[in-house]
Amino acid sequence: MSMVPITGAVADAAAIRRIIADVLKVAPDRVHPEADLVRDLGAESIDFLDLLFSLDALVGARVLPERWGAWLKQRLPAGSAGPGITPRVIEEFVVFYRSSLSQTVAGEPS
Amino acid sequence: MSVVVTGMGVVCATAIGRDAFARALQTGRCGAGILRGFDASGFPVRIACEVDDSSLPDDAVPAKARKLMSRATLFAAVAARLASDDAGLAAGVAEPERVGVAFGAGGMGSVDREFLETQLAAIHACEAAGGFTWDRFSDAYQRLVNPLAAIRALPNLAAGTLGILHDAQGPNLTVATACTSGTQAIGEALRALQRDEVDVMITGGADAMVNPTGVLGFHLLGALSRRNDDPEHACRPFDQARDGFVIGEGAGALVLEREEFARARGACVVGRVTGYASACDAYRMTDERPDASGAARTMRTAVRDARLAPGDIGYINAHGTGTRMNDRLETLAIRTVFGGSAPPTSSTKSMVGHVLAGAGAVEAIATLIALAGGWLPPTINYTAPDPECDLDYVPNVARPATVQAALSNSFGFGGQNACLVLQSP
Repeated sequence: MSMVPITGAVADAAAIRRIIADVLKVAPDRVHPEADLVRDLGAESIDFLDLLFSLDALVGARVLPERWGAWLKQRLPAGSAGPGITPRVIEEFVVFYRSSLSQTVAGEPS
Repeated sequence: MSVVVTGMGVVCATAIGRDAFARALQTGRCGAGILRGFDASGFPVRIACEVDDSSLPDDAVPAKARKLMSRATLFAAVAARLASDDAGLAAGVAEPERVGVAFGAGGMGSVDREFLETQLAAIHACEAAGGFTWDRFSDAYQRLVNPLAAIRALPNLAAGTLGILHDAQGPNLTVATACTSGTQAIGEALRALQRDEVDVMITGGADAMVNPTGVLGFHLLGALSRRNDDPEHACRPFDQARDGFVIGEGAGALVLEREEFARARGACVVGRVTGYASACDAYRMTDERPDASGAARTMRTAVRDARLAPGDIGYINAHGTGTRMNDRLETLAIRTVFGGSAPPTSSTKSMVGHVLAGAGAVEAIATLIALAGGWLPPTINYTAPDPECDLDYVPNVARPATVQAALSNSFGFGGQNACLVLQSP
């Protein structure tokens, strides 16, 4: 998180919470930073596909579900099946994904 | 084992809900108008019987479930919610494992305009990138198409959705026999109850083909009326001047129960399903047998299944599409079964249009409403008799009548026929 300018991070956090509320069709005030998407907000696996698709514009590229799965396995002990996926985790993933994109572009000739 | 109807829900061009539908049928209201769902001004057919989206009850379907629904599944979910409320089928009333679903479906979301638009967007992206190749299509498709579109496209998702929304953990069945789907779904629900596999079945059918490919497809098949300048009089089953059906959309849903179960829980019985038959012409894809023997045999078998004789049938809700061929051959089939004493026969498609995979369910509900109310729904727009269609079609106005048993007919492309015998409570 420290690598990202703070104003951008705050804007991202708000945008991510709006996207989560829209994808899960819950009132925005229920999407606080530590709300558990599965346990508290009723997400199921298809909703994560919808969420990743909805993050495209924010990230600036197609968010590939398999990369989300691999990242989450490292980040949370239970992976995508378990609890612990919060808006803050999604923010971290967005930061990770953006930085991995710039590395990929830099490292790979088109 | 006797099977009763305890709840009904309707979504169609003339009404949302059972009571509103009863009033619309009894007053002969026509649901046809200029097509509004998309810009059809350059289309050869510009009329339809469309559901007014703004009149769908907001609270009938949870918002998150709704995003996974095609238009047809949405209609199914709303109709089933109305039927379930009508039946007093709250959580805990039945064991979830003893509640099943049998629902009629057409193409579901694979024909929705949004689905077509996403395919087109992917194709345009290919062209912009130098021309269509499947490689480029693959890239564009993955970039542009929300994964939920694939779920919405599945035809089995109406039945699946109803299972989830109503915690119906029993048998879950989708029937896709085109215009026969709704009738056959109700018949298969009857069978599941008769086999004692379930106490309750949520059944019916839904369709939503008022979209560019749906309208053009049926137009290319020569099935649609082109009376574009006079939509209210376009659907005129059995009339000399009929020129095809008016495409409709919507859903009908019914709650069927084993009578013992319904009585034990004190449910209000609004009708009975007592007979069912399905059969195939096994002849040609879109032609019926010239002697209408397939349709006649199906009607006869359904009446026998109800342990009745043709003379016991006091009303027929016809398939009555308004095409030249259907109405002539359905009349012949009815004459074959009932001879000179054919009962009054009407086509409620004259009012709600052809709801396709949902038609049989909407029409079964129309029939049950009429039996319980003591009147027969009219065939509207009937002005000039056709010598080849010589039955009593209950022309233009509803008629008071006390009828114990009725037939509801459905005949689909592919030669698939199904008939139900429905009785008053």
